[in-house]
Amino acid sequence: MSGRRSRQSSEGTSSRISDDQIIELVSKLQQLLPEIRNRRSNKASASKVLQETCNYIRNLHKEVDDLSDRLSQLLSTIDADSPEAAIIRSLIM
Amino acid sequence: MRNPSSLKQEFLKKWIKGLQICSATKKKMSIMERRKAIKVSADIAMASTRKSTTYWSHALMANASKDDTNKIIIENILGNDDDNSKRIIFKKASMGISMSQKRIVRSKKIVRNSCKISRRARKISPSTIAKKLVKKRTQVLKSLVPGGEYMDDASLIKETLDYIISLRVQVDVMRHLANNASHEINDPKTSS
Repeated sequence: MSGRRSRQSSEGTSSRISDDQIIELVSKLQQLLPEIRNRRSNKASASKVLQETCNYIRNLHKEVDDLSDRLSQLLSTIDADSPEAAIIRSLIM
Repeated sequence: MRNPSSLKQEFLKKWIKGLQICSATKKKMSIMERRKAIKVSADIAMASTRKSTTYWSHALMANASKDDTNKIIIENILGNDDDNSKRIIFKKASMGISMSQKRIVRSKKIVRNSCKISRRARKISPSTIAKKLVKKRTQVLKSLVPGGEYMDDASLIKETLDYIISLRVQVDVMRHLANNASHEINDPKTSS
């Protein structure tokens, strides 16, 4: 990890993201984020892309939490442990 | 990039393993405990599909292993793989707290000093505002991606992309299971 830090100071990237990295990020995120795909691709600014990314990650986190809630409630309606595991196992295939 | 369906299968297998360990160690769980177990197992499973190739997976497992019960899950899920990665993760977990505190103190000092200087000659131009915005949003992103505070910007972007893909796999599998489970319970088809 200290190696990474020294590499960072030699490249000169402090806390600014370069244009090439923005282009790389935008092109990859375009495939992932539905919102950016509809907008004008090259004009997307770094801050906009970052904002969309943060919002998307936050949404995914929230969805994981909600799904965990839902699953825990579902599993609690079944009584013991072995039926749970059996149902889960039967749903895999 | 790996095949998403193979990622999903691997995630599901590891997640189920983690859940079985949780239910084996604690027979009767409250809803809160169960929910936490589900989420933690899912996170650990998601991180272990990436293992040593990404930083965020290490950071996530290091954070999770601070809890003793989670350590057992991690040990079991990583069980077949090399002991090296396990050692690194547990070592990071024990070091993690002191490292992050030192970094926070250091960065706060730097920010305070730079603020004193910039307050004297403040030029408000669109490029400065844009740079400040980018910096602010980068900080937010760093707080969202596990282990993000320790990365430089180039790695942060790569890690973010990988993290988003893995998160989507996790959400897809969990959603699939939740939908199917609720259908099964509400109107069971063929009895198992």
